[in-house]
Amino acid sequence: MAPDFDFPKRFGKENETVEEPQVRELRDYSESRFINRGRIDLPFLVLTVLILTVGVITVFSASFARSYYETGNAAGVFLRQLFFAVAGIVLMMFASRVKPKTIRKYSKLLMIVSVGLLFLVLVIGIIGGGSRRWINLGFTTFQPSEITKLAIILYFASMACRYKDQMKTFRYGIIPFGFWLGVVVVLLGLEPHFSAIIIICLVGGLMMYAGGANIKYLVLIVLVGGALLLLVLLTGGYTSERITAWRDPMAEKLGDGWQIVQSLYAVGSGGLLGLGLGQSIQKHMYLPEEHNDYIFAIYCEEMGFVGASLILILFALLIIRGYWLAMRSRDRYSSLIVTGIMTLLAIQVFLNVAVVTNLIPSTGISLPFFSYGGTALLMQMAEMGIVLGVSRNIDDK
Amino acid sequence: MKKKNNIIKMEVPNKGMVGRTLSLMVVFGIVAFIVLILQLYKVQIVDHELYESNAVEQQVRDTTVAANRGAIYDRNMNTLAMSATVSTVYVSPAELILYEEEDMRVMISSRLSEILGVDYDTIEAKWLDTKSWYKTVAVKIESELADQVRDFKNEYNLKSVHIVPDTKRYYPNGSLASQIIGFVGVDNTGLEGIEAVYDRYLQGTNGRIVRVANEKGVDLPYSGYENYYDASDGNSLVLTVDDRIQHYLEKNLAQAIQDYQVQDGAMGIVMDVKTGAILGMTTLPNYDLNNYLEVNEETLAKLQAQGLSESEYNDAVYNALLKQWRNRIISDSYEPGSTFKIITLAMGLEEGVISENDYFDCSGSIRVKGRVEPIHCWNRDGHGQQTLAEAAQHSCNPAFVNIGLEVGAETFYDYVEAFGFRNHTGVDLYGEGDSIWWSDDVFEDRTNHSQLAAASFGQTFTITPLQLITAVSAVANGGYLMEPYVVSKVLDSDGNVVENHEPTVVRQVISEETSERACAILETVVGSPGGTGKNAYVAGYRVAGKTGTSTDTITEAETGRKEYMVSFVGFAPADDPEIAVLVILDNPSNESGIYPSGGVMAAPVVGNIMYDVLPYLGVEPDLGIDGESGVYEVKVPNVKSYSVSEARATMEELGFKVKIVGSGTEVTDQAPMANVSIAPNSTVILYAGEAKPDKTVRVETLNGMSYRQAKAVLEQDGLFIRSMGVPPSDSLTIVVASQSISPNSEVAYGTVVQVTLIDNDSSIMEGAG
Repeated sequence: MAPDFDFPKRFGKENETVEEPQVRELRDYSESRFINRGRIDLPFLVLTVLILTVGVITVFSASFARSYYETGNAAGVFLRQLFFAVAGIVLMMFASRVKPKTIRKYSKLLMIVSVGLLFLVLVIGIIGGGSRRWINLGFTTFQPSEITKLAIILYFASMACRYKDQMKTFRYGIIPFGFWLGVVVVLLGLEPHFSAIIIICLVGGLMMYAGGANIKYLVLIVLVGGALLLLVLLTGGYTSERITAWRDPMAEKLGDGWQIVQSLYAVGSGGLLGLGLGQSIQKHMYLPEEHNDYIFAIYCEEMGFVGASLILILFALLIIRGYWLAMRSRDRYSSLIVTGIMTLLAIQVFLNVAVVTNLIPSTGISLPFFSYGGTALLMQMAEMGIVLGVSRNIDDK
Repeated sequence: MKKKNNIIKMEVPNKGMVGRTLSLMVVFGIVAFIVLILQLYKVQIVDHELYESNAVEQQVRDTTVAANRGAIYDRNMNTLAMSATVSTVYVSPAELILYEEEDMRVMISSRLSEILGVDYDTIEAKWLDTKSWYKTVAVKIESELADQVRDFKNEYNLKSVHIVPDTKRYYPNGSLASQIIGFVGVDNTGLEGIEAVYDRYLQGTNGRIVRVANEKGVDLPYSGYENYYDASDGNSLVLTVDDRIQHYLEKNLAQAIQDYQVQDGAMGIVMDVKTGAILGMTTLPNYDLNNYLEVNEETLAKLQAQGLSESEYNDAVYNALLKQWRNRIISDSYEPGSTFKIITLAMGLEEGVISENDYFDCSGSIRVKGRVEPIHCWNRDGHGQQTLAEAAQHSCNPAFVNIGLEVGAETFYDYVEAFGFRNHTGVDLYGEGDSIWWSDDVFEDRTNHSQLAAASFGQTFTITPLQLITAVSAVANGGYLMEPYVVSKVLDSDGNVVENHEPTVVRQVISEETSERACAILETVVGSPGGTGKNAYVAGYRVAGKTGTSTDTITEAETGRKEYMVSFVGFAPADDPEIAVLVILDNPSNESGIYPSGGVMAAPVVGNIMYDVLPYLGVEPDLGIDGESGVYEVKVPNVKSYSVSEARATMEELGFKVKIVGSGTEVTDQAPMANVSIAPNSTVILYAGEAKPDKTVRVETLNGMSYRQAKAVLEQDGLFIRSMGVPPSDSLTIVVASQSISPNSEVAYGTVVQVTLIDNDSSIMEGAG
């Protein structure tokens, strides 16, 4: 029976730096073409559901004050999120049944569709906060950039596998990836949506690294990219205001610093043990976006340093477990997509918590499993499903 | 077909990839989270207190619950000042934008304008500051109006209109005792008088409601973050002031201002001689405490009549305000003149350098060491040989210069100090003025006695009226200098006495014996026919006192115009003094036909005050003391339906003359009516069958007329006379100084007009020496 990944045939002989294949004896799960069998990775599943549960409860706690004040219905936001969480679990279990091979097969299509959506959003997108990021589906809105993130991971993994033996070359290790990144960055830049650009560039770059691209080129690109980023920051007034607010939020307390100051008040007043679940005061309209990008501040206020550390440790364990699964994956593609998904998750968690605690200037990045938002949660749950799907093929978990 | 445990060989991620994944795991699974936890540690643990305190500061709303301000009562528990709950209405432009419909603004403005009587445009302008949460529309409105606003607010469920409780101060007696009581500002803090001095007693402690609110200021739903701290109401004060005595004082001073055309106001004080308690004190013109920012009507009318430019007028109004708030009795020092001779007399007697048996010669002037010009007596012709009592009666300057010289400068100054003239009296009011005296060196200069000489008759120094009456009270009460005071008790909100002000003796200055001797001499100043103070005579009472006439030295220095301050300080009863009264008239006009001197102008005012106050205090008149009949008014009996002859006999027995109108045999009516008191030798009219004329008559101007003339004029018009002040007689020097019914008013036929008589005797018209 042929192994279900392909060897590069066209370029195989050109490259001297071909990595030695590592072969192991594995159980054969390939009796069905589409359905994944095998046991799911229980620790990963448990951690995911645990974090999601805490996240949904936190949405309730963080949102009821404003919901009550503005609509009179304290549970409105929470019930919506709960619905998406349940749907997300269903979606996750469904995704875990999809074979990585199948995913790889459709990854290019997904990439093209997501780029198409990025075009579409520029045309029919809803304007919010000065940019076009959302497409209205009638019952909900969603950000195409969420799909792009996953598409980049899935498609870059696919390319990294296809060019496995030429990854060290500039021609194959850099250019195809760079092309897609460039397209996506330009489209996101037109929305504009800088946080998505940052995340996608980071994830894309790290996918290239994981896929085996030449470190020298990557370093060079990072240097050039960094210089460009600096240029944008120095010229764009919008971002430089954020930098000022970041460096001394108290000085801009009533202006640009309002949000970060209110966030610090929330996080800081939590102290060691927090005010207790539901007891946040900052959520009573002081802290904007208290159930979206700044939900973690409310969580910190209510649960304190102990509770905040605990949830971060859960995230860390989930991510470590994910990378572990990637290392144990039975094929290169599975490994790369898990790596990509875990890296995406880690970057989002890091950037969100770093913003909330004013470690870095504010960017609009939500906290996975916590921040209110149906489509984003569904995407995250689908991603976890993909990881679980990979885990089904790993024997010695 | 089951292929469950088929084993296949597969290529798994090679070492390179595992290594790279591992590196990512280390960075994103471990390092990143360590960084985050460290940052959380910094924010949540290290900087916890900073952020917490800042957060609490913005989350906690502190609402004040105003304590009720204590009331002020007179000594009989009549209310002089009280607080009532009122409301303040404000609008919140920010909430208008947040919550109200677009078209509500105009409607709200017009309704509020309608209810509150505030100009519509003024209210409209409040909305312009759209960021504001607080724009006051009307302060301290009555609950009736507040209820209307509340109904309006509820009707439309308005969120941008707010009504908050506040308190307002009410002064039921208007201007009575205004300078004593004082007033509070809009923030309910005392600004003047007792309200200011005892503010911390009256205020109470405000309560607080500490609550946690959301960013919009709304209480958190389902939260228990609320703490109440109860307000404790302020204490109430009981004053020594008696509202009746205060009223008598103000009434008589106002009459004096009118009678003598006093230009710069009048002041007076009534003191309990034995305790130093102030029973009444005023400076006229005074002001309505309920409208303390409005100038007294008469003053305002005077200012308007002066034709000033707008800025001059505004300045004048402002100065008039400051002046009417000023309690001149305690704040303004003046040159007392001859009233100070009481003090010189007391120290001379106490030191034993003079006695009742000494004779004093007055040639009209006296030479003193260190002064080229001799010092003149107000009577340039001289008083000749006089006893000590006569010297006091005559208010003879050379005699008192001699007493001063006998006492000696150093001892004189010791007494000045001992009588409290060089220190504040310690009265519990703000703004006590400083007295001005020569320095000890100048005064005690052995080569120059002119300062001592002038001081002996009350010149070349200034003291406050309060210092004078306190020292005179000491002379009268057995020698004890008391600390004057106006607050006698502090009550808590349940009416229990919290603090009691006991009379405080500062020191004994003279012996009781000296006090008695001084009182006896001072009684003759009023009681003897030649006494300068005889116009302070009150029938049936033994009044002692001393006149004073001085020039307003400050005005004279500034303008060169000679303006007089005429005064009288008296106390009664002379054998056991209970009250002392000081009256000062500032710049009376000499066009009134009455000579501007203390004896002629101020003494009758004090007499009238005594006449009102002594019976009120329950001091029984002793009509036998005068050696005369002592009866200057008789109550008319009812003789209606008597036979004419019987009626005539009844009337004549009482000393009335009788005129009969009509030819009936029975008295059908009488004039005056029964039970009114009139002068004993008046002619009463009995109507026998004929009707009493049902008409009104015009009252003539009586001021300046002799008693005899006034009586004749009144009787001719069918009116009756009754007199106060000095005993009525046919002497031409006994003249009317004041009449109870103002000239030219129409009164019913047979009405009784009361006049105040003074002795306009040139021999008592002391000038300012």
